[in-house]
Amino acid sequence: MPRRGYRGGMLKFIREDDLDQIRFAVIELLAEVGVRMEYRPALELLADHGAEVDWDNSVVKINEGLLNRALLTAPNRFTLYGKSPEYDVKVDLERVYTIGGSCALSVLDLDGRRRPAVRQDLVDLTRLLEEMPNLDIMHQIVVPSDVPELGYELVNFATCYSISKRNYYSQAQSAESVRDQIKMAAIFQGSEEEVRRRPTFTEVVCMVSPLKHEKQNSEVLMEAAKHGIPVYIEVDALCGATTPAPIAGTLIESGANVLAGVVLAQLINPGTPCIYSIASGILDMANGQYSGAAPETTLIHAGTAQVAHIFGLPYQGGTGIDAKLPDAQAGYERALQVLTNILAGTNFVHLSYGMMEQMLLASYEQVLIDEEIIAAAYRIARGFEVNDYTLSLDLIRRVGPLGGHFLSQKETREFYRKDRWLPNLSNRDPWDAWQAAGGKDMRQYANERARAILAQDKPWAVSREQADEIERICQEGVARSQKRKEQME
Amino acid sequence: MAEDKAAVLKGLRENVIDGDPDEVRRLAQACANLGVDPMEAINEGLIPGIMEVGERFERKEYFLPELVMAADAMKKGMAVLEAAITAAGGKREAVATVVLGTVKGDIHDIGKSIVGALLSAHGFDVIDLGVDVPADKFIPTAEKAGAQIIAMSSLLPTTMPYMQHVIDELTKRGLRDKIKVMVGGAPVTPAYAKQIGADGYGDDAIAAVRVARQLLGM
Repeated sequence: MPRRGYRGGMLKFIREDDLDQIRFAVIELLAEVGVRMEYRPALELLADHGAEVDWDNSVVKINEGLLNRALLTAPNRFTLYGKSPEYDVKVDLERVYTIGGSCALSVLDLDGRRRPAVRQDLVDLTRLLEEMPNLDIMHQIVVPSDVPELGYELVNFATCYSISKRNYYSQAQSAESVRDQIKMAAIFQGSEEEVRRRPTFTEVVCMVSPLKHEKQNSEVLMEAAKHGIPVYIEVDALCGATTPAPIAGTLIESGANVLAGVVLAQLINPGTPCIYSIASGILDMANGQYSGAAPETTLIHAGTAQVAHIFGLPYQGGTGIDAKLPDAQAGYERALQVLTNILAGTNFVHLSYGMMEQMLLASYEQVLIDEEIIAAAYRIARGFEVNDYTLSLDLIRRVGPLGGHFLSQKETREFYRKDRWLPNLSNRDPWDAWQAAGGKDMRQYANERARAILAQDKPWAVSREQADEIERICQEGVARSQKRKEQME
Repeated sequence: MAEDKAAVLKGLRENVIDGDPDEVRRLAQACANLGVDPMEAINEGLIPGIMEVGERFERKEYFLPELVMAADAMKKGMAVLEAAITAAGGKREAVATVVLGTVKGDIHDIGKSIVGALLSAHGFDVIDLGVDVPADKFIPTAEKAGAQIIAMSSLLPTTMPYMQHVIDELTKRGLRDKIKVMVGGAPVTPAYAKQIGADGYGDDAIAAVRVARQLLGM
């Protein structure tokens, strides 16, 4: 059975008529302001299909007809494949899934130390994430400091892809890197043909605001699309700095920026799954930092779900939190952010495990705490049913008003097991019982659980031989990148 | 016959664990025909069943509905088997008699009722006086029944002091040495129980059974 997420989308911040205004503004931006693309082959392809290109400034203006043709071929339902069918993710515009943390440079380890991430942290955190029941898509939660800068994504791919059975959310610094990743996946999947048919990984390309696709973005996007690898086309706007301070203005900039990428991908290979993605945040005007947990950031993410869906595209939102420790701030930030995104119908709640300190820090303990928060938020999203059975009229008639109760009714026993969410790390006991059990706070429970998981010797998703072969391809790719850099210098 | 007997004892135990009152009653009734000694049916069928349920509850594998349903099933079986013992001219001694109630001013019923069900299931005679029970009902009832324990529940911080009042009344009437007092309820703590001079405190129904047994030196 593939994974099927809960349905979100009951929470709407934008009224229907306001949504039309946003849609028209996005179309107008694309047609009249355009997007700067630094990769010449991208401009040439768009020009061939009727886009207006200012060659001196590398700006392409995309008319509504071209946009609409792309939106017709971009699917609104598809599967992201895992290494076995129970990890397949069925994507549509309603279901909600989660993606793990991304690219932190430091870790908060289980001894409470903040230190630079190393490759062993990537291994351990990925093993930890792999055991989180509500994680759907695996990503590289840290960028290790002990691997080369050029080709680091190949090392991350080799590590996470070999450990995790989940679809892997990858990234690439060049077209060649995409091809290396296909080669690595083919070691597990049997052939490159099979990778193209049922890709077990995706690529993310992160566009720059305002309205700019760097050379590397388009190169990777076009290469991924060519092979049918699904792409998260992401904008990381800084509301108030790289996009306008009003949320509505930020929404339309992201729309035009993302959709320019969707048009390009569909021209390369019609039908390539494209996920409308943001990891945007507001600029904190006091300290000049990105704030992932600000309520306004959450509004941007919830609002963008509606915008992505009017264009018929699945949507990735969600981001890290600002707290430095798994403390009260971390708990409230994550809870508000995750719950709002799930209720708003964010199809992929990204960065939803372990990401703290403006995405710079990955916390082992917070990974487990976030699992608890996500599980509780999903329970809220699941809502409750109203029907003859749940109204329980006959049951209430049977127990009556003469001092009975429902605990001993078999309907109670039948129903509560299916319906109630049982917490794992949260303690609901009264003080004395809690004290008697050690009087631990949630962070201590998370720490113990993380240590227990890491102490298990679980097999990786690929065999030892496959992992070695994947590592060999990875190291060749890294060496090639290094050599090219030396030649350029 | 031996096989049948083993099957009935196993059935009693498992159906208490599954909380199936009808099946427990049916099996208890079958004991007479199969020549199973009712005392043996209780001691080797029902009681191991309810003990297992208590353990599962403490391991958080079972929760309140399973606990209460098991107690219900146990009670049904006990009624049949005790009647059989009486009919044969015997008598099953109750472990002890407990007078139970939610104190005056407080009408919270459910927690106290669960404690009652579990105590019954463990062989106690339970006289449940219900809710809003004054000292003048607790004490004469206990005296008349020769009860060894008064168990009081309070869910409101404002009614907690009434438990002290009942204890003081017991002392005044010269009964404090004869009757043990145990207390419980959400706002009640072991420290509070000690402060008002209660003999025992349990924070859930399984603990209440344990405490009651301890008070009786079992």
